[in-house]
Amino acid sequence: MVRKKSLWKIIAFYFSVGLLVLLVFYPFAWMLTISFRYNIDALKSGFFQKFTLTQYEDLLGLKQSIQQKLSGEQKELYNLAQTLPKDQRKAVLKKIYANQKKNQFPFLRYFKNSLILAGLAALLSLIVSIFGAYSFSRIKYPGRGTIQRGVLLVYLFGGTILMVPLYQIFSKIGMTSNPNLAMISLLIIYMLQTLPVSLYMLGNYFRTIPYSIEEAAIIDGCTRVEAIWRIVVPLSLPAIITVYIYAFMIGWNEYLFASIFIRPFPSYYTLPVGLSELFNSQHAIWAKMMAASVITAVPVVVLFMTMEKYLTAGFTAGGVKE
Amino acid sequence: MRNHSVGTLEHKEAILGWKLIAPTVIIISLLILYPAIYNIYLSFFRVSLNPAVPNQFMGWKNYVGILKDPTFWKSFGITVTFTSITVIGSLLLGLGVAIMMNRKFYGRGIIRALILLPYVTPLISSVFAWKYIFLPLNGPLVQFLSSLHLMNSGTDIINNPNNAFVVVSFFNIWRNFPFVYLMILAKLQSIPSSLYEAAEMDGANWWKKFMSVTLPELYFVIASVALLRGIWNFYKFNEVYLLSKFAGTLPIYIYNTAFAGIPHQGVAASAATILFVVMIGLITLYVKKVLKW
Repeated sequence: MVRKKSLWKIIAFYFSVGLLVLLVFYPFAWMLTISFRYNIDALKSGFFQKFTLTQYEDLLGLKQSIQQKLSGEQKELYNLAQTLPKDQRKAVLKKIYANQKKNQFPFLRYFKNSLILAGLAALLSLIVSIFGAYSFSRIKYPGRGTIQRGVLLVYLFGGTILMVPLYQIFSKIGMTSNPNLAMISLLIIYMLQTLPVSLYMLGNYFRTIPYSIEEAAIIDGCTRVEAIWRIVVPLSLPAIITVYIYAFMIGWNEYLFASIFIRPFPSYYTLPVGLSELFNSQHAIWAKMMAASVITAVPVVVLFMTMEKYLTAGFTAGGVKE
Repeated sequence: MRNHSVGTLEHKEAILGWKLIAPTVIIISLLILYPAIYNIYLSFFRVSLNPAVPNQFMGWKNYVGILKDPTFWKSFGITVTFTSITVIGSLLLGLGVAIMMNRKFYGRGIIRALILLPYVTPLISSVFAWKYIFLPLNGPLVQFLSSLHLMNSGTDIINNPNNAFVVVSFFNIWRNFPFVYLMILAKLQSIPSSLYEAAEMDGANWWKKFMSVTLPELYFVIASVALLRGIWNFYKFNEVYLLSKFAGTLPIYIYNTAFAGIPHQGVAASAATILFVVMIGLITLYVKKVLKW
């Protein structure tokens, strides 16, 4: 009797685990399967359709896309246009360019923009916060407690509160007028947004390193700053990498400020801005969108999964900022 | 003499400490504290978008205008509802999953890693996946739900202002429950098993053990996670806006006021100030009543 009941319990348990996996994986399963379809199959309802890698080849520029092949026809048109009278020629050329622009899917460029922005911002934030976190977790001085609490208070100022004043400040000093300056503004803002989490996670990790190791290095003639680079940083490498990935993700996901600062400069779009613009301007490109989503996700997910153990520890050692 | 040298050593330490923290302090005060105050200042002005044209002082007019605007109140209501649904939902799901994952079973390692997927996958990717499964007529989830007669397959719930925030709430719970789960699991694992043994000796069943041992032990971590998630979701923009521009929460209201159509950045600044004041009020209340600091 007892055994029978516990068997049911086990079945119920595995059933709920199965449900959980389904809940978590359902959207991803569709994302994957759609990304391996032809455009015409994208909205068909069976889970498996004819398999193709064409979307990936297109996005990564491994294969000339249909649009580019068609551009042979456009070339002829272009040659034809040269023979036309001047004002007609202008109109035809304009049409060709507009057409080309419409068909472009500059995924790799968005990818590169995002990579540079998020990568640099996370790096800058990491450098600033290694020193900052070391300072308030290792050195005693008046005002330390205030600073530590101050970092916590930053949680209260989300992008929602800061979007208008930051835009005003950056536009007052002329940082919104040209694309490079706008990118630098974004870089600063991303660094700012990733700073609290980096400080927090690193501070918590530094406290777990025994002070005696550092002390030994200092006795051996290292200066304090050298000890940070030679002892603390190498010992905290797992935490530092985790923090970097986490900070990177914040920049990789950011949409609010990117949409404000680089809206006028399409070739500087980041992935979230670029993909959502494309999504809103074109129709029936689901297969390509899904392939783009997969490519956007894979590097980050792989990084996270390899660092899972440290990630979990880093989270739970004390708050995390999104 | 000796005292003196210790004094300078301490002094040296303090100087080093300040030097190392200085960049952080400068960045935070220049780019967070100053803008936050500047935001309050801007909220009393008609803000011009042309740097050459000066702002025009409006007094309380921006605030009066907002408080009279029914869209603002609607957004406010939606934001409060959205925050409550998502905080409660992700807490319940996270708690349930944490209890499940605290048991040893075959394949637990893989499943623990898999559960993190919604949280670590880049936002833009999961947003498109969700948009696809909720497509009217063709979306697989819509087809499934309509085959169960739970919804009409033709409805576009994502782009419908009346119920977009429901989908957005579900998405938020789905995406953020792993965070709650991680926090709760860490605490669960640290509850000493002697507490459970004692309860068992008193003849407690599973439910009684849960109510008298697990929940009290988890109280503080649950309350803190609820606070964090509450703050984040109150301000949530990216997740909400990218999935549905029609969700109508306050951050979207502020964004649209400041940057879409004819920008009214002064008005947006006053809406942000109101949001901030409400937020501080709620947090103070919460910290006093629930966290009992």
